[in-house]
Amino acid sequence: MSLYGASVKRPIMTTLCFVTIIILGLFSLAKLPIDLYPDIDTNTLMVITMYPGASAEDIEQNVTKPLENTLNSVEHLKHITSQSRENTSVITLEFEYGYDIDVLTNDVRDKLDMVKSALPDDSESPIIFKFSTDMIPICLLSVEAKESMAGLYKILDDAVANPLARVDGVGSVSISGAPKREVHVYCDPSRLEAYNLSVEQISNIIGAENRNVPGGSFDIGSNTYALRVQGEFDETEELRNIPVGSYNGSIVYLKDVARVEDSLEERTQHTFNSGREGAMIIIQKQSGANSVQISEKVMKMLPRLQKNLPSDVKIGVIVDTSDNIRNTIASLEETVLYALLFVMIVVFVFLGRWRATMIIVITIPVSLIASFIYLFATGNTLNIVSLSALSISIGMVVDDAIVVLENVTTHIERGADPKQAAVHGTNEVAISVIASTLTLIAVFFPLTLVTGMTGVLFRQLGWMVTIMMIISTTCALSLTPMLCSQWLKRNPKHSKLYEKLYMPIERALDRFDDGYASLLRLVVGHKTVTIIVCLGIFAGSLFLMKFVGTEFFPTQDNSRIGVNLELPIGSRVELAEDATRRLDSLWRAKYKDEILVSNYTVGPASSDNTFASLSDNGPHIVSMNIRLTNPADRKRGIREIADDMRRDISEQFPEFKKAQVNVGGGRGQGMGGQSTVDFEIYGYDFTETDSVARQLSEVLKGIPGTADINISRSDYQPEYQVDFDREKLALYGLNMQTVAYYLRNRINGATASQFREDGEEYDIKVMYSPEHRTEISDIENIVVYTSTGQPVRVKELGKVVERFTPPTIERKDRERLITVSAVVDGVPLSQVVTAAQAQIDKMHLPAGISIGLAGSFEDQQDSFFDLMMLGVLIIILVYIVMAAQFESLTYPGIIMTSLLFAFSGVFIILWLTGHTLNVMSMIGGIMLIGIVVKNGIVLIDYITLNRERGMSIRSAVIDGGRSRLRPVVMTTLTTILGMVPMACGTGEGAEMWRPMGTAVIGGLTFSTILTLLFVPVLYCVFAHNGVKRTRKKLRKAHEARLAAAKNV
Amino acid sequence: MKSIFIAYDQAHHEAIIDVLDRCSCRGFTSFGTVQGRGSVKGEPHYGSHAWPSLASAIITFVDDSKTDTLLEMLHALDESKPLLGLRAFVWDVEKSI
Repeated sequence: MSLYGASVKRPIMTTLCFVTIIILGLFSLAKLPIDLYPDIDTNTLMVITMYPGASAEDIEQNVTKPLENTLNSVEHLKHITSQSRENTSVITLEFEYGYDIDVLTNDVRDKLDMVKSALPDDSESPIIFKFSTDMIPICLLSVEAKESMAGLYKILDDAVANPLARVDGVGSVSISGAPKREVHVYCDPSRLEAYNLSVEQISNIIGAENRNVPGGSFDIGSNTYALRVQGEFDETEELRNIPVGSYNGSIVYLKDVARVEDSLEERTQHTFNSGREGAMIIIQKQSGANSVQISEKVMKMLPRLQKNLPSDVKIGVIVDTSDNIRNTIASLEETVLYALLFVMIVVFVFLGRWRATMIIVITIPVSLIASFIYLFATGNTLNIVSLSALSISIGMVVDDAIVVLENVTTHIERGADPKQAAVHGTNEVAISVIASTLTLIAVFFPLTLVTGMTGVLFRQLGWMVTIMMIISTTCALSLTPMLCSQWLKRNPKHSKLYEKLYMPIERALDRFDDGYASLLRLVVGHKTVTIIVCLGIFAGSLFLMKFVGTEFFPTQDNSRIGVNLELPIGSRVELAEDATRRLDSLWRAKYKDEILVSNYTVGPASSDNTFASLSDNGPHIVSMNIRLTNPADRKRGIREIADDMRRDISEQFPEFKKAQVNVGGGRGQGMGGQSTVDFEIYGYDFTETDSVARQLSEVLKGIPGTADINISRSDYQPEYQVDFDREKLALYGLNMQTVAYYLRNRINGATASQFREDGEEYDIKVMYSPEHRTEISDIENIVVYTSTGQPVRVKELGKVVERFTPPTIERKDRERLITVSAVVDGVPLSQVVTAAQAQIDKMHLPAGISIGLAGSFEDQQDSFFDLMMLGVLIIILVYIVMAAQFESLTYPGIIMTSLLFAFSGVFIILWLTGHTLNVMSMIGGIMLIGIVVKNGIVLIDYITLNRERGMSIRSAVIDGGRSRLRPVVMTTLTTILGMVPMACGTGEGAEMWRPMGTAVIGGLTFSTILTLLFVPVLYCVFAHNGVKRTRKKLRKAHEARLAAAKNV
Repeated sequence: MKSIFIAYDQAHHEAIIDVLDRCSCRGFTSFGTVQGRGSVKGEPHYGSHAWPSLASAIITFVDDSKTDTLLEMLHALDESKPLLGLRAFVWDVEKSI
């Protein structure tokens, strides 16, 4: 028995089957975690190799090059980039998306084993490091403190960082801005010299004094005692009084030659929250953990942690990424609900009966909820993509049910019993319902096959819609006929109120049908004119393509701005701090309604802060995090604010040599952030590439719509080097290493020992006091003791010279390069690229130097190519499905013409609304292929039916058009109105799907209007030709017969 | 004994079995779904793309006394749903085993 026969016969079973699906779906929904995007597998590996003491160029030649040459042969490699800086080589391998990173890691490890022997002996083994989006911190917490500032690190470490690190899913918690306690022994060089002491001696003595040594055990009488020497300092004050030597018979104490300060680390990051000094706590998640769940747990813990802190320490939230995710998902959920409401209204207006409306509308939750089971089963999340899929599908899942219901109603009106009508009515349309679902699946299933970054996003969309379509068709063939058989009645009685309300709608719809029929009569009478006008409109719209710009992804307003500032290289941290303080207070005053929290960090990161040491840091570098109020609560968009901020920096803060204002927190993040154009200048010679980079950045500055132009190669770092004379060293019995350590111990300090207190250890550092390391002469006057104890000054052993070390050497695909990047602001990406390209063509490049394009533009080109190919594949598939359904090659061709107008519509609406053609609007365009041909199928199907019933071509077309107008307009309106909330959304993250909704609305509206006129006309032309051909054939056959008869 | 051939839109099927039951006509032979069209204005029932509906046919053999009641009831059924279509034809049975 057929599916619909069985379900009509067994209503309880059918209902319970769907109830089960709904229960399972709701159960899955309750368990589904939420996230912003579907899981994106990492595709990047880093290979880090240390080679202590080597300069950038040595590293490049001896480490980076051999590694690159070998690693280049790893499969599926997209780009290989490297940074060779002093002591370190960092190679980044970027692979094509969609391959198992673990397998690739093993391949890389094998290659590294091969090349290890070719590396310099002193270099350390290369380390493989997996980089993923998980490295991006999920929460940044601000800490404000007054009296507790000195002990802040310990307080935070004990009372905040450790408990947070224990939260399930939290990867690492780092504290920045709170310097660690350190005991400093600041020596006075002249006193040391006077007493014939050295920093090394003092350091050794401190180390030797600060000791607890167990002395074994010994027996006294009948007892055994342990013997121990307890020499460790209980207080830092004790240090002052330890004897460090003797001079002329009297003891020299440490306090005689040095001052002991129990203070904080010297060079470290300082963090300021809303202008007040404090600290920042950075929380990173474990790989694969869910950000929202973790941050919820963290937020829940905060009040409890706050209670354990001293009263002056206050924890606040700078960035909570889950906030944005939650808001985005909430606004998308609202969109889905609005879409549901709109679809319900449309269905009711067209059907005019609440029972019929209910039967149709029930399909929506059933299909939508069923898709949650898929998400849950495959371990996916509720994210932008899956929710967009829901929103897109709402308008489409009802289509099948509408067709079934309409036919069943016809049967009932003809007099059939509802039960019989449900079975027979469904039977008649089952094939065409399945065929039209197949055309949609032909569109959405290939989305699951897209590769690259876009593939990661749209695989889920493809699966979701395909599954929802299958469920909705199953529903239309089982639940809908069952409900029809139970709920529908022959000649239902309507109340007076209903008639009063609905009759005008009914009359309007009738008038609409009549109007369309007469319009159709007119255009069918003027076929040539209609075809020319329609094709003219299509050709005209193609010209608009020029005015519609393209970009990769729309910029999203996630209320986060990240600012990276750089003073000229080598500037002191105090300068950076002062300039940033002024900038911060200016901004907080100027944008006080818009800035919620601002936080900035200055200074070099200490090595144990993983997060900070991964990003650029140094005394001259400042990084700011600004959280704006919610987009709904402010008038201006994030881009305008960022624009103003850029202007403030360039007009009022010339001291910042480089400044980047990054919308969305980071620069050039594929989705959400502002697009960047990266020009890559390839060339070996530093000076030549530097000058081309400078020229190019000037060129880019002249192009409207560019901001934040940045040259990747940093300036040559100034430094003092001591050139020792090897012969002189040899004369004094010294060597390079010994004297180098003498310098290091005096300037950087020697860690003598650890001071223990309450189970914590703090470094005791011995060094020159700060006032004795401020001039070159201080270095020149450092005393080095020879093996015979004779003092020699550094200036006697060598010269102190100022030099500039070469910057980091960057390479990509085994060539040196500099990247000049610009943020694209306010104009489409394509416009900037075209303008820049024209200028670059005019530039005279030295031989051996080439300029390539990368950044968002490269990603955009890749994705556009992928999507174009996908579009072609989908068109072919849809054609095949239709040709099979109609058993004709002509009809699908006629229907496909509606695609032309769909694309026209997309261009026209993008042009009118000022949106750009980006990945989102292209996806909208691709979806249109399936949605638009559906209208054509309905129309042509009925026209051919009329002809098979013996009507003439003309009346078949006009009657068919008239009777199919309502279903076409109804399904179109459900889809369009389902998209309206998406296209008009103003909530957080709405920028992302607005272009998609707009594209679908424009394309569908425009193509439906033209399809309703153009397709019937084209059908007439082809059908007439067909008839003519048949007649000709018949005539010829007839004549041949006559001739044959004559001959006989 | 009369033989009655009833051809009708398949939607009538259950109603016709019901009529037969009410007239105590136990025996019948159903042809399942069949194709056909009416002689005057009856719509074709082909089960095709153009004419998707299908007809059914039943032949039954009843006592002469029951024929009129049965035909009346069938006529009433037809009248109630004129769009579906129902026709019955009666002829004599000469012999049976």
